[in-house]
Amino acid sequence: MPQDDLKIGVFVCECGTNIAGSVDVDKLIEEAKNVPNVVFTAKNRYMCSEPGQAEIKKAIEEQKLDRVIVAACSPRMHEPTFRECVSSMGMNPYLVDMANIREQCSWVHMNMRDTATEKAMDIVKAYVARARYLVPQEETEIPVEKATLVIGGGIAGMQSALDLADAGYQVYLVEKEPALGGIMAQLAKTYPTMDCAI
Amino acid sequence: MMDVGRHPNIKLLTYSTVEKITGYVGNFQVQVKKKAKYVNETECTACGDCTEVCPVFVPDEFQQGLSSRRAIYIPFPQAVPSSFLIDMENCLGTNPIACGKCADKCDKKCIDYDARDEILEFKVGTVIVATGMDVFDPTVLDEYGYTKYENVITSMEYERLLSAGGPSDGHFIRPTDRKRPKTVGFIQCVGSRCEKLGKPYCSNICCMNTIKDTLLLKDHYPDIEAKVFYIDIRAFGKGFEDLYKRSKEAGVQYIRGIPGEIIEDPSTHNLKVMVEDTTANKMEEYEFDMMVLSVGVTPRFDMPEVQQLLTLSKTPDGFFMEAHPKLKPVDAPTTGVYFAGCAEAPKDVKDSVTQASAAAARAETLLSAGKVKLEAITSSVNTDLCRFCGMCSKVCPYNAFTVDPKKKTIRYVEALCKGCGTCGAECRFGAITMNHFTDEQIITQIDTHLAEKAQEKVIVFACNWCSYAGADTCGGARLQYPPNQRLIRTMCSGRVHEKFVLHAFKKGAPMVVVSGCHYVDCHYIDANRWTQKRVEKLWDKLEKWDIRPERLLLEWISAAEGKRFAKTMQDIEELRKKVTKEEIEHTVKVLTEEEEKEKAKKEKQKKK
Amino acid sequence: MEEKDFKCLRCGAVNKFPYEKGVMMERQCPKCGSNSIRLVKEKQEEKK
Repeated sequence: MPQDDLKIGVFVCECGTNIAGSVDVDKLIEEAKNVPNVVFTAKNRYMCSEPGQAEIKKAIEEQKLDRVIVAACSPRMHEPTFRECVSSMGMNPYLVDMANIREQCSWVHMNMRDTATEKAMDIVKAYVARARYLVPQEETEIPVEKATLVIGGGIAGMQSALDLADAGYQVYLVEKEPALGGIMAQLAKTYPTMDCAI
Repeated sequence: MMDVGRHPNIKLLTYSTVEKITGYVGNFQVQVKKKAKYVNETECTACGDCTEVCPVFVPDEFQQGLSSRRAIYIPFPQAVPSSFLIDMENCLGTNPIACGKCADKCDKKCIDYDARDEILEFKVGTVIVATGMDVFDPTVLDEYGYTKYENVITSMEYERLLSAGGPSDGHFIRPTDRKRPKTVGFIQCVGSRCEKLGKPYCSNICCMNTIKDTLLLKDHYPDIEAKVFYIDIRAFGKGFEDLYKRSKEAGVQYIRGIPGEIIEDPSTHNLKVMVEDTTANKMEEYEFDMMVLSVGVTPRFDMPEVQQLLTLSKTPDGFFMEAHPKLKPVDAPTTGVYFAGCAEAPKDVKDSVTQASAAAARAETLLSAGKVKLEAITSSVNTDLCRFCGMCSKVCPYNAFTVDPKKKTIRYVEALCKGCGTCGAECRFGAITMNHFTDEQIITQIDTHLAEKAQEKVIVFACNWCSYAGADTCGGARLQYPPNQRLIRTMCSGRVHEKFVLHAFKKGAPMVVVSGCHYVDCHYIDANRWTQKRVEKLWDKLEKWDIRPERLLLEWISAAEGKRFAKTMQDIEELRKKVTKEEIEHTVKVLTEEEEKEKAKKEKQKKK
Repeated sequence: MEEKDFKCLRCGAVNKFPYEKGVMMERQCPKCGSNSIRLVKEKQEEKK
């Protein structure tokens, strides 16, 4: 079920002229204000910059935002930045989402400001709608047993086992045959050094 | 080998097989079966008294069957561990009345016929798969007469014949008359680069191995004539070209052309070949005392067992598949599992050692951190809704699910989940939720996009790693396309549930595109195969409802293919324009009716 | 491996591709590059 009582903030990045050049950012902001649950909107020349991030942090605190939508570049670019930004304010990092209006809008629909703006609006609206269903996600950490199993006692298995054992870790080296060496032990000589394999 | 045998941090388990591995990164439970050697490994001094009295002779595997060993034996003189063992299949019997000679002879009383296999269990954080390779068996190649002519040998047998520790004590002799041959021919690419045998790949090592073999030959016996028949000589590594040159300077002749067959002269046991020398463009006949088949590298016969233990995948060549061919060549798709050596692809000693150290370093990254972060975006299961059909376990690339339809149980290990969401897309009972990419989240995105001017919009589902990234690449290059598509991101195209596509059509979308990675790029091993299966099924369904299947497209677009993304979007916009209003109205009507039918059916079932 | 007729749903081109029941393969239209390659079923051919 959608969460109807959420306070969502929409932050639109101009990215210099990268976005603002093809998308009417002011219009986008005006329309975003009318979307259900959106209680706060802001634009910034560079949302990823320190001042841009400060604006988001300030709004989270003052407006008591529950969800943040950053309409900017691809999440593949700055999702980690904004996740870090909101979590510094105590918000779960999975409650911020990025509406990609640069790579997938302003950059590919140049010189068609009206339709590009319309598309950008759809993208923002879709992410706000999605935000109504977002819930916190937890990154769990589990301990690692300080031992390694090496399957195979040929030259590769032996080298791995020695490296790890020398580093101080317990190694279990399992070899199917009665002795170590694998195929390599059967070679008379090996290139490029032309020396004995054993 | 000695270093491994005596290292305090290495527990060496030879004559042992891994029987079971459960758990996940950081916490693998391992069960190993240590087969009985019937000789006390720590007490045995490898004096060899026992083997002298053993009356059983069998072919010696280590010497490629060129000589024999006894039933109680040591694999080779320098073996680690340095102890004898009894090959029980050939031993005359555990009953001392039957034989028992070795036990009588052993002063230290190390021999115990009643020894049993042992099962050991332990816990590890990481696993390195170094299961190696097999050499190609040329018995299937009738034309080279490997099974008919004794003087045709493999390059592995040649190694033994030339080895000081070999069956002929390092004297190079040919099998039929035990005399030193005067002429030796080498045939390259036996079991490599051959589509017909299902071995289309280059085995990597055989060119250099033959060059080495000819050099050894020429060093010991400069008078022996050697000729090498080849397709290409691939001497690409450091110092390799020098060896190739040295071999040619030593008088070895290299002839570009592969003989079609080997024919033996029955009186002399000499071998004749006809070959087209493609550099000189003529047919030539040669006679040799001995022929060496330079056999290729094949995946190990017991790979499927290891594959199952760790839920690994194979590439089309039959070797293990790495997590990424360029960026994660040492990692297995299963976190915490790494490859070393020929298990992943044919390699020479140097490359095996290099990868082995890399694998150790990769494993150490986790071990030294002491903890590992698990994927936050994973599936969760509602066992109340589960009907134990087992579909999730079938589609999950990581075997995170174990379902027993008879006992009606489902076990889900979240730590194994990487978040592709294919299970959620295949579960017919809505029992699986793919967190952060839930059904509701995706459907609400579709609804929003299609709320206005639906007939003008194309819904495109794009996977995070490839097609979504491809769209980004397209943007980075400023390649223009019509602004009518609306992209919906999922982690994997395998997440795209049938109902998402139908929902989009029901809401009036003229076209829907499902896009993901090319087969080789799938970030979830093979999850996108299920995407294709689903789309193929949907085409049939749509057709049944009289909806043109052409309105649903499947497109694989990689992260680098920005151009391809733009072209696809341009093509699709043209197709969209052709979708008529009537068609859309029909689709909306049919799908709304279908949905109501489904609802009625479900309520009936509920009442029951 | 057997070859069967497949139709590209993007451009309509019909081409032969290897086919084996139950084996998944990546197929790409040689004309337009699409992966929307659908097996032409015998029934459909009859209809034509």
